[in-house]
Amino acid sequence: MMASTSATEAVPSRPGFRSTMLGARLREAGWGYGFVLAPIGVFGLFFIYPFIYAIYISFYHWGILGKQGSAHGTFNYSNVLHDPIFHTALRNIAEYTFAVVPLELALGLSLALLINQKIRGRNFFRSSFYFPSIASSVAITTIALYIFNAQGLFNQIIGSNRAWFADASTVGWSIVGLNTWTTSGTVMIFYLAALQSIPDDVYEAAAVDATSAWRTFWRITFPLLKPAHFFCIVVFGIGALKLFDQAFIVANGASGAPNYATMVPIIYIYNEAFGNSDFGVAAAAGVIYFVIIFALTIVMRLTVGRQEPA
Amino acid sequence: MLQTVAAAEPYVPPKSRKDAVRKAMFYALMLLVALIFFTPFIWTFITAFKTLPDSVNVTSLPHPWTTSAWHRVWADSDFPTYIKNSLFLAAVIVVCNIFLAGLGGYAFARLRFPGRNLLFVLVLGTLMVPEQLRLIPIFVMMVNWGLYGHFESYILINLVTATNLFFMRQYFLTIPKDFEEAAKLDGASHFKIFWRVMLPLALPAMSALVILQFQGTWNDFFWPLILFGQGVSSHYTIQLGLQQFYGQYQSDVPAVMVGSILAILPVLVIFLAFQRYFVSGVVSSGVKG
Repeated sequence: MMASTSATEAVPSRPGFRSTMLGARLREAGWGYGFVLAPIGVFGLFFIYPFIYAIYISFYHWGILGKQGSAHGTFNYSNVLHDPIFHTALRNIAEYTFAVVPLELALGLSLALLINQKIRGRNFFRSSFYFPSIASSVAITTIALYIFNAQGLFNQIIGSNRAWFADASTVGWSIVGLNTWTTSGTVMIFYLAALQSIPDDVYEAAAVDATSAWRTFWRITFPLLKPAHFFCIVVFGIGALKLFDQAFIVANGASGAPNYATMVPIIYIYNEAFGNSDFGVAAAAGVIYFVIIFALTIVMRLTVGRQEPA
Repeated sequence: MLQTVAAAEPYVPPKSRKDAVRKAMFYALMLLVALIFFTPFIWTFITAFKTLPDSVNVTSLPHPWTTSAWHRVWADSDFPTYIKNSLFLAAVIVVCNIFLAGLGGYAFARLRFPGRNLLFVLVLGTLMVPEQLRLIPIFVMMVNWGLYGHFESYILINLVTATNLFFMRQYFLTIPKDFEEAAKLDGASHFKIFWRVMLPLALPAMSALVILQFQGTWNDFFWPLILFGQGVSSHYTIQLGLQQFYGQYQSDVPAVMVGSILAILPVLVIFLAFQRYFVSGVVSSGVKG
C-alpha cells in the first residue's frame, strides 16, 4: 500500500535526482518558515518590538494621550534616579530579596529532606507542601490578609492585636513570611530532584562509618547539593526581585501603603504609569530596573553559577 | 563486607523499638507541618459558611452554618462573569498555544531552513524581556490599536509563549524519526506529518502544556490588571475581580472567602487529578514569580 502510492507519485515527476533533492530542500525550508512565521510574529510584535519601544518612550515626555511635544533627552532617567521614592523601592526590594531567598531555600530544602525519606503517604505530603505554590497569589494573599488582620486567627492564637499587613513596621516581614510559605513548595520540588540524583552508595559509606544523620547532612548531602543551591539562588532571587501581586493587593493599589513600605520597583513603574500618567518616567524606570536585574544575573552566573560542575 | 552486614542482622530487633518511636515522631512532625500548610485553607473554608458577625468575632466553628455568603457572591456579585471571562480566555489561549507552540516546536526540532538557529536564539531571547519593561509599550500599543479593554488585547499577547514552544520542541526531539520517514515515503506534506503524526505522538507534552497554561492564565493577575484594570469591569478575570471585590467589600469576610475559594478551586481540582504534570512541568520549564 505504502510502496504503491510512493511509486505512482514518484514516476511522473522525475526530471533528475539532483533537482528533486533541491526541490525537497526548498519545500522543507518553505514549510519551516511557514510554521515559525506565526510564533516569530508574536514574539517580534509583543516582546522584541515593545523592548525597543519602551526605550523609545523613555526618552520623551509621554502622557496618557501619547507623546507630548518633541523634546527628547534623558530627563526621565534623571527624574527616576533622583526620585527618593525610587530609592525607597530599590531599598525595599533589596531587603525583601535578601530576607526571602534564604528562608525559601531553607524551608524548601527542609521539606524536600522530609519528603525524601521512605515514608507512607509521600505523595500526599508532597502535594500538601506544593499546593500553595500553584494556587492563585491573589486568593492566597486575600486569605492571609484576613488571618493576619488585627482580630484575625493568628492574633487570637498568639494573643496580640497587631494588624500585620497594615503596619509599616511589620508588612515587609509579613510578605516575606507569606511568600516563603507559598514558594517553598516549588523550591522543594527542585531540591527533591537534586536529592534523588545523589547516588545511594554515598550514604552507604556514611552509614558504615556510623556517622550521625545531622553530620551526614552537613558533611555530605549539603555540599553535594551545591549545584541546586546555586540554581535556586539565581532562579528564586530573580523571582523575588519581580515582587508585584502581593505588594499590590496588600496596599489595595500601587500607593506603597502603609508609608511606602510596599513600594517596590514594579509597583513604582505601575504607579508612575497609571497613578501619575507619566509613561515616559515609567518606561525609564522599567529600563533602569531591567539593566539592574540583567547586571545582577550576569554577576551571579559568573560568580556562583560558575562553580557548578559541568 | 556482605558478611558483616549479615552478621549485624541479629541486632535489629532491639533497635527497632527505638525506630518505632522515632518513626512515630517523624510522622507527627510531618502531619504538623501539613496541618500548618492546610490551616489557612481550612480556615477559609469554615469562614465561607459563617455569618458576618461570626467571621468578625473569629469563632472557631460557624453557628449556624450558612450558605448566605455563597448566595451573595453567586447572585449579587459579578463573580459568575469573572469566572466565565477567565474560562473563555484560558480556553482560547490554551488552544492557540498548543497549535502555535506545536508548529514552531516541530519546525525548530525537525525542519531544516536557513537561519533556524538564529531564529531559535531570538525565541529564547524573549525570555529575557521582563514584564515590567513590556508593560508600558504594550499598554500604549493596545490603546493606539483600539484594543485596550478588549479580550483581543489579552489573547494577542498570550498567543504563544517561548516556554511552551521550547517545551514542545524538546519533546519532539525525543520522538524517533522513523514515524515521519514512513509518512514522508507515503508522500505526506510537512503539515500533514505535523498534524497527523507528530502532534498525536506529542500527546503527553500537550497534556502538560494544557494543564500548566490553564493554571497560568487562570492565576494571572498582572496582565488583566494592565489591560482591563482601569475600570473595564465587564472584562475582569477571576483574579482581578477578586482583588477588586476585596477592595470594595473587604468587611464582608465570608463573601471574600467564597471568592477566594472560587479563585483557587479549578486549579485545585486539576492539581489533584494531574499532579505529575505539575511536578514535571515545574522542573522542566520554570517557576511562578
